[in-house]
This record gives sequence, structure tokens and C-alpha cells, in this order.
Amino acid sequence: MAVVEAPESPAAAERLDRLEQIWRSRPGLLGWLTTTDHKRVGLLYLWTTLAFFAAGGAESLLIRTQLAQPNSHVVSPSTFDELFSMHGITMIFFFIIPMTTGAFGNYLLPLMIGARDMAFPRMNALSYWIFLASGIFLYTSLGLGMAPNAGWFDYVPLASRAFDPGRNVDFYCLGIIFNSIASTLTAAQFIVTIFKSRAPGMSLNRLPLFCYAQLAAAFGLLFALPPLSADTIFLFLDRNVGTHFFDVALGGKSLLWQHLFWIFGHPEVYILIVPAFGIATSIIPAFTQRKLVAFPLVGIAELLVVFIGFGVWAHHMFATGLPTISLVFFAAATAMVVIPSTIQVFAWCMSFVTGTPQFKTPLLFIAGFIFMFVTGGLTGIMFMAIPFDQQVTDTYFVIAHFHYIIFGAAVFPIFGGLYYWFPKVTGKLYLERPGQLSFWIVFVGTNLLFFPMHIVGLLGMPRRQYTYPDGLGWTSYNLAETIGGFLTAAGILLLLGNLVYSYRKGADAGSDPWHGPTLEWATTSPPPEYNFPVVPKVTSAYANWDRDDREEDRRRLAEGLFVLEQGHEQVEVSAVDARLSDVVPMPHESPWPPLLAASLALVFSMLLLRKFGVAGVMAVLCVLTLVGWHSREPAEQ
Amino acid sequence: MALGASVLLAGCGRTQNALAPESHQSRDIASLFWWMMGGAWIGLGVVVGLLVWSWKRRRRRGFGADTEGPKPGERAGWVVVLGAGVALPIVVLATLFVIADVLVIRTTQAPAKTATRLTIRVIGHQWWWEVRYPGTRAVTANEIHIPVRTPVRVQVTTADVIHSFWVPQLNRKIDAIPERTNVEELYADAPGVYRGQCAEFCGLQHAHMGVYVIADPPAAFHRWLAREGRPAAAPSRALAARGRRLFLGGACSSCHTIRGTGASGEVGPDLTHVAARTTLAALAIPNRRADLARWIANAQHAKPGNQMPDLRLTGSQVGALVAYLQGLR
Amino acid sequence: MSDHILAGRPAAGRPAAWWAMAMLIASEATLFGSFVGTYYYLRFTTRVWPPDGLPKPALAVPLVLVACLTATSVPMQLASRAARAGRLGATRLFLVVALFVQSGYFAFESNDFGEQIKHRFDITRNAYSSIYYVLLGADHAHVFVGLLFDLWLLWKLARGLTRYRVNAVQAIAWYWQAVIVLTLVVTGTLLSARA
Repeated sequence: MAVVEAPESPAAAERLDRLEQIWRSRPGLLGWLTTTDHKRVGLLYLWTTLAFFAAGGAESLLIRTQLAQPNSHVVSPSTFDELFSMHGITMIFFFIIPMTTGAFGNYLLPLMIGARDMAFPRMNALSYWIFLASGIFLYTSLGLGMAPNAGWFDYVPLASRAFDPGRNVDFYCLGIIFNSIASTLTAAQFIVTIFKSRAPGMSLNRLPLFCYAQLAAAFGLLFALPPLSADTIFLFLDRNVGTHFFDVALGGKSLLWQHLFWIFGHPEVYILIVPAFGIATSIIPAFTQRKLVAFPLVGIAELLVVFIGFGVWAHHMFATGLPTISLVFFAAATAMVVIPSTIQVFAWCMSFVTGTPQFKTPLLFIAGFIFMFVTGGLTGIMFMAIPFDQQVTDTYFVIAHFHYIIFGAAVFPIFGGLYYWFPKVTGKLYLERPGQLSFWIVFVGTNLLFFPMHIVGLLGMPRRQYTYPDGLGWTSYNLAETIGGFLTAAGILLLLGNLVYSYRKGADAGSDPWHGPTLEWATTSPPPEYNFPVVPKVTSAYANWDRDDREEDRRRLAEGLFVLEQGHEQVEVSAVDARLSDVVPMPHESPWPPLLAASLALVFSMLLLRKFGVAGVMAVLCVLTLVGWHSREPAEQ
Repeated sequence: MALGASVLLAGCGRTQNALAPESHQSRDIASLFWWMMGGAWIGLGVVVGLLVWSWKRRRRRGFGADTEGPKPGERAGWVVVLGAGVALPIVVLATLFVIADVLVIRTTQAPAKTATRLTIRVIGHQWWWEVRYPGTRAVTANEIHIPVRTPVRVQVTTADVIHSFWVPQLNRKIDAIPERTNVEELYADAPGVYRGQCAEFCGLQHAHMGVYVIADPPAAFHRWLAREGRPAAAPSRALAARGRRLFLGGACSSCHTIRGTGASGEVGPDLTHVAARTTLAALAIPNRRADLARWIANAQHAKPGNQMPDLRLTGSQVGALVAYLQGLR
Repeated sequence: MSDHILAGRPAAGRPAAWWAMAMLIASEATLFGSFVGTYYYLRFTTRVWPPDGLPKPALAVPLVLVACLTATSVPMQLASRAARAGRLGATRLFLVVALFVQSGYFAFESNDFGEQIKHRFDITRNAYSSIYYVLLGADHAHVFVGLLFDLWLLWKLARGLTRYRVNAVQAIAWYWQAVIVLTLVVTGTLLSARA
């Protein structure tokens, strides 16, 4: 029973009231614009990323409609090029990463570590507003008919001004850099929060696996985004200032782009799936009512897969003519990166087998995730064989591979997580039967959509072509894929419809409908703005299953210990052992984050228009905004 | 031309199936695939088996198992995680690595200089393939002839953006990069037409950048090469002569070369022996009178965005040009 | 503030502001790593370096300037210590000394930067000039940001010392240590063309 629901004494009730007063947010729209509450920021991310998911999904359905038949004219070649480019950019930078880190990470991380908020709440809000601004910036290009059109990885010389003279690729470069600021801030935020804001007693070996996953992804983002920024800076300079980083005639190298891109790009794919692994490792213990098998090994594996993932990038370049010795080195590194994943797969499966599983909708999505991830992982292992890679890279075989991984290992856990935490966020239960049906439709749909791509790739169909001739054996597979795509969309609509309906009419969930293992289930549904009335006592990684500790929390509230009600207060602990170190004042509600995001949007818009002087003036505006932001110290608020 | 047409009609050149290999390189890659696929099905089967077994152990209602007690089956779990999750993958991956990346790679990587008996240069353009035979004057486009059962060295590069040369039935793909020349080997087991395609996104008409590799018996190949090296045939009829005058006097010669005439443009393919090819526009359209006429009249229709502009020719001008070009065998 | 729960125990580990600066430094260091990596990638795939007969970088002036900047590591560290000990006057003094030398460094360097572009070669010559000026310019930009940090800090310290400001001094001193190391790396990289 959550602490807050039934205070034991009038003194406890009075303390709860005082906390409510202190932490109450401004009403209405202004409250949302100035919020720094991690839960509100998480919800803002949720709705925005779902909107981008719809956009990316619409792009993919248009692609599939064009490819359903040979020699089709549903869209022109230039529109097709914009569609597949925007589809990749949207899904990766504006759906998966912000959904898993911005939505799930933001909402759940402080709750799971027993904190009241992130370490830097205003910076957290800033991440969201920058993310939103960068998405609007990028999608303006689509509205103006000059969306990026050189793929999501924009190889040069195709993306250089000589071959792509319009603003399309400039939107790409600037949009990516703008977006990466948001992700970098989020990464820094998560790392500091996880190390410094845990409840005392939550030493690193008691950190929930969801948090390990977010930590791994955060480190990945921190170190993977700068090479991409460097790359896009070089491309922007080449296109707009006249530099020659990639210009072969004057000493530049086209492979420089590819190296820097994939030094970002490969860790990126682990960043995409590792937070989703964290979602899976939250759902599995809850629905098997068993602590995860080999917990410490799984935590290490989550960190290791991102770390080793930094060393394998050139396996995306096996066909470029690099010397054989380099190729072999990268193939060996690619082999190594498989091991942390196989460790996790068998830990999950053995938890299923040795626990007592209950196949409600969240667990169904995780079972589906394991199936899809293993399928995609096995084709990934095939790519380690260099001659085979050189035969099927840049074909539909690789499209099949990475969609099984991304859709299977990132999107399925997202769907499972939406169902799993729906009761916590809304206080209502979703409808179980339609939930299970939505899983099956999505599962069948995605397999129908992506499995034939393996075959058609082996039959020689390259990727990124706007049409194909009849008679090469590709036609029926393409038609099947298109049907699968629409079926998947139907399943997703059912899923979203279920959640919307349940939000309005669902049964009351209570604070802990699943007997969940982690601390978010130890408070009300939805949680109060201050999350926990007392700093929780933590002695294991499955804190909500430690009944004695939760009893201790109720005693603390009754006696007024560790309530921290002298303002907006949060504890700070030591990095490894989580020994109590400090009590820090937190900021609460601020207009500066959206103002700074707006100023940055002006800078990037001016850069796009090549008005470099004006961009400089806008940068001064950003500096002034930062000064304003730091003019009142949190203790003074 | 007749040989090409009959082979086409026989059904060759209508597949890019990597699993229908016609050379020892592609055969090795295909075998590698079949073995890996077998292993993959087994691996997937094990995981699905575990999930199905867990489904059989499911409980139908309620929660509340003893979550605070000792973890059931923890030792068995560790054994499986370390055995199937660490030890077994290490063995499988090491084996695969040795077979694929130490052994098979020897046949698919760039050949040693002494291993081949003929060198061809392939230069990618947006959106066609320039083909040169160093040591001869032969220059053609989009249709590469090689002698059968002869290791041929292909030097691949690009004149503009990155392309990728790929003929799946014969070998893996190799990228065409501006700052270097990459090399791969082509070897055809049997005479025939083998279809390939550009495999690196290169712009608007990436979808229509196909290539044929036509393996001829050696004598036929040498006859073909000799013919390709000769300058263009002079027009025999008045209509064709008019066509030649139009070609040389108009925009055509600024983009195309016809050896033996004044036309020396390098934007588009060499047309000296264009009538000997089976297709036009990088396999996009067949090389027949009506198709050629439609192409010249409005190249943007078949391949929108390609570099050949609308020349605003009259019907009779088109007819003359077609007559001339069809004589360039 | 609910400090009573601390029961007088000392703070364990560094403040969150220091950690935040560590994250920024990690990110920027990786960015510079990408630039330096680009420099060496271009260098080892180009036959003659610098190419096209461009002049090799000067040795004496850059080394003297970077030595001066490195020396400011001392007053910055002393400022950080003084702030933690609560000595406001000493903190301000050390910051002013550091700012003076850092501004002088920046003034000389930006003048030199402009002179090079006007009289030696500009950024659009070739790949060498591109990476040369981007590396150098990015480094100077980070020094400039450091100057802004110093000015802001002195402005804040005009009104006294609070825990927030003590944390800020530590974080900014940390920033300068990192910028100094980055400047040494960048200078070394560019000077390696003389080898």
C-alpha cells in the first residue's frame, strides 16, 4: 500500500498538505510552459514523440504504397527521396530516442531512484523545448518542399552543394545539430541524476536495471553525438562557406564523412535499443514475479554493449574498398559485441521459464520483442561474415535486419511499456482483451511487413529506389510488405485507441496493480508532484518488494523524519555507495527554458538563411538568456 | 547483337538473385548464407522453445508469489546464461569468423595483380556506367562484355557521387568512390547475361542505373572487342546522313562522343557502337527503334531527372537521328 | 532547509555542478577528438602536408602564448581552493589575475587569427586550410566562452559568497583546466605539420 494513500495520523496528513502546498504547480497552460516537473516534461515528450511517430509512419506508408507495384507513379522520384530520408531521420531522432529517454526516462528515472526530480530540473525542461523546436525546424522543410533528400545518412559527394544545391541538406545539418543539443543535455542530466540523486542506501549494485539501461544510453549519447556534430558542421561549412573537407579535388575525402558518421551511427543503434532493454527488464520481473536471472551480469551487459559498440563502426563500410586487414579487425570487434546481447536474451528467457509468467499485454509485447530482437540479431551475426555483408549490404536484406531490431527491440518494448505504466501515469487500468488483440495484430503485421524483405534483398533488390521493374521476382513480396505495413498501422491505432478510451472510462488502478518491483509503485497513481513524502529507505534493487522498508517509510512520515518540507528540497548522495551527502534546494517552474529554446531556434534559422551576422546577434541573445536564467539562485526562489 | 538478343529471350539477365550463383565467388557466398541460415533457424528455435515452455508454465490469475524469498531456478538460469549466452556464441562466432573472414574472403577480395588476364575500367556516373578497356580504344556504356571462364579485373571509380557496382550472380558489390579506384574480380562460369544494379543511393534515378555483364565465349569476345575499338560506321543512307549532320551540328555532340566524328562530349555515354547494345539508359528501356525515338524526343519521360534535356526536336529530326544511331553497330 | 538530517556529516564527493561541468567537458573533448582525428585522417591520406605549398605553422609565438595560458591554471586552481575555504577576497583576486592573462592571450590569438586569414591563406583554399582554421577557431571560441564565464563569476561574487557561487567557482575552474588541456592538444596537432 502506497504511503500517501492512508496517512496514519493527523501529523502525517498535515505534512502531506504542506508538501502539496510547496510543490503545487501553476494552473493551466502557463503551468505547462514553465514546468520543470520531470513527470510533466516526460508527458510533453510522450505526446510530441507520438506525433512524430505518426509522421514517420505516414512517410513509411507512402513509401510502401509507391512500392506495392512495379513502375509505379504514386509519388515522384524527388518526393520519394524526401520520404525515405525524413522517415529515417524522424523515427531515429524524433521518435525512438526522445520516447525512450525523454518520455520513459524522464518520467520514471527519479521515481525509480526515490528522488523528487532530476538533478537539474530547468535544464530538463530545456531539453524538451529544444527537442520540440528542432522538430518544428526540420518539418518546416517538408512544408516548404525542401526536406532532406539524401537519406538519413547523407553520403557526400551526393549531399554536397554541387549535387544537392537546394536547402534540403542544410535543413538536415542544422536540424541534426539542433536536436543533438537536446539529447546531449538529457544525457548529461541522466548521468548526474543517477550518480548524485539516488535515495540513500541505493548503492550502485541496488540500482534498478531500467536505470542501468538509461545510464548506458546516456553515456552512449554523450560520446556518440559529438562526431556527428563535427561531421554535420563540416558539411554545412563545405556547403555554405566554401571549405573542402569532403571535396576530393582539393584534398578532401568522401570517406571522412562515412567514418565520422558511423562512429556516431553504430553506437546510436545501441542507444536506440538499450533503454528499451531497460523497459523489458522492468516488465519481466513484474509479470513473472521473480527477480531477474543473473541481475549483475545483465547490468554489466547493458553498459558493455554500448561500450564495445564504439569499436565496430566500419562494419557499415565493408563495401567501400577499405584494406582487408581493417575489415577483418572490425568483423572481429562486431563478433565481440554480440556476447552482451546473448547474455541478456538468455537471462530474459530463463526469467520467463523459472518465474511464474502471466501473459498480460505488457509481457506479450516483451515476448514479441525477444522474438524480433533474436531474429534481427541473427541476421546481424550474418553481416559479420564480410563476403556475405558485401553481397547484401545496401539491399532490402539489411532493411529487414535493422527493422527487426529497431521495431522489434525498441518499438515493441515501448508499446509494452505504454501498457505497463499506463495505470501509474493515469490511475486507470487499460482494457486487457483489446490490448492483447493489438499485440497480435502488430506482431503479425510487422512480420508480414519485414520478413519478405530478407528474401527480396537476396533476390537483388537494392534499397532506396523509388520503383523497380517487373520480372525480377520482387513484385509479390513488395505487395505482401505493403499489406503488412497497413496491418501494423491498424494494430497501432487499436493500441492507441485502447489507451485513449481507458483514460476516459477505465477502472481505477490503485497505486500498485501489478505488485511491481520498483519504487514508482510505492506511491500513488498518478504520483504527487513531490513523488514521495519521505526519502525512501532502500536496501535492494527491488525496493517495492521489501515490505519492511516500505513500513519504515510510513513510520518516517508519521514521525516527520526525512520529509524535507522546508522548501523544494532534494537529497544529494555520494556517487557509488549512495551515502547521504547534502540537502539541496531545487528550482521550481521557470520561463527561461522555453525562452532559451526559442532564442536557439532563431540562431539556427538565421544560419539556415545564411545570415551569419544576424545569427551571431541571436547567439548574444542566447547568452543574455543564460545570464537571466542564472540570476536567481535556487536557494533564493 | 543477335547473340545478346537470343540470350535475353532465353531468360538470362532477368534475375539479380544472389542465391543463383554463376561464379565461384558467388557460390561461396551463397553456401555461407545457407549454413548461417541453418544455424539461425536453430538459434531462433531454441529461444522460441524457451518462450513456449514458459507459456506452458503460466498462471491464469492473480499475483503475489513469494518475491522476497530465494530466486527459483537461479543456478539453472546462470548455467544457461553462461553456457548458451557466452560459451556457445563464442564458439559459433569464432568458427564463423574463421570460415568467412579468413577463408572465403580470399576469393571475394580484390584479386592479386597476377591473377587476372584482362582489366576493365568501370566509371560510375549519374545514372549510367562508363566502361573502358585499357590497352584498346573500346569505350562503351552499361553493358560489359567479358570472356567466359576468365578472371577479369574490374577497376571501379566514379566521376561524380558514390555509386556501387554490383552483379550479384558474379560477385559481391564494390563501391565507386571519388578519391580512389577500387578493384574486384569478375568471373563467369558459363556464357550468359548477368544483371546488376547500382547499390549506393546516388540521386534521383538511382533506381534506373542497371548494368549487364555479358559473358561471351573467348573468340566471340575478341570479335566484339575489336569491333568496339573501331571508329563509328559511316551512314549508308541519306536519312542516316541527315541524322549525323543533326547530331554533330546540334546539342548531342556536346554531351556524347562518337569516335571517328567530331563529337567528343563526355557528359553522357559513348555512342560509337550504341546499336550493338540490347538496352538504353542503363537498362531502363529496350534498344528498339520506337523506344529510341521516344527517348530522344523526351528523355525525361522514361527517366525523370536524368541529365538529358528536352531537345525540342521535330518528328522528322528524331527519325533521322534514330536512323543514324541505329546504324552505329 | 532541512539540513538537520545531515547530522553534521561532511559532504561526500563533488557537487552536482562539478559533475555537470564534467559532462560538458566530456562532450566537448569528444568533439575536439573528432576534429583532431579528422586532421590526422586528412594528413595520412595526403601525400604532401601541408599541401599546395602552403606555409607550415609558426612555432615561437604559439608556444609562448600557450605557455601563458597554461600558467593561468595556477590562479584558477587557487581561486577554487579559496572559494571552498570561504575566502572571498582571495577568490576574486585569483580570478582577476587569471582573467587578465586569459584576455591577453585571447586578444593576441584573435589578432593573429585575422592576420593569418588575410595574409597567409584563407579557410577556403583546400582541406588543410579547412581543418586548420576550424580546429584553431573552435579552440579560440572555447577560450572566449571561458572569458564570459569569468566575467559572470566576478559579477556574481561582487555580491558575496554563497554555496551556489562556491560551486560555480569550482565548476568554472574545472572548465578552464579542460580548455587549457584542449589548447595544448590543438596547438600540438597543428604544429605537428612541421614534422
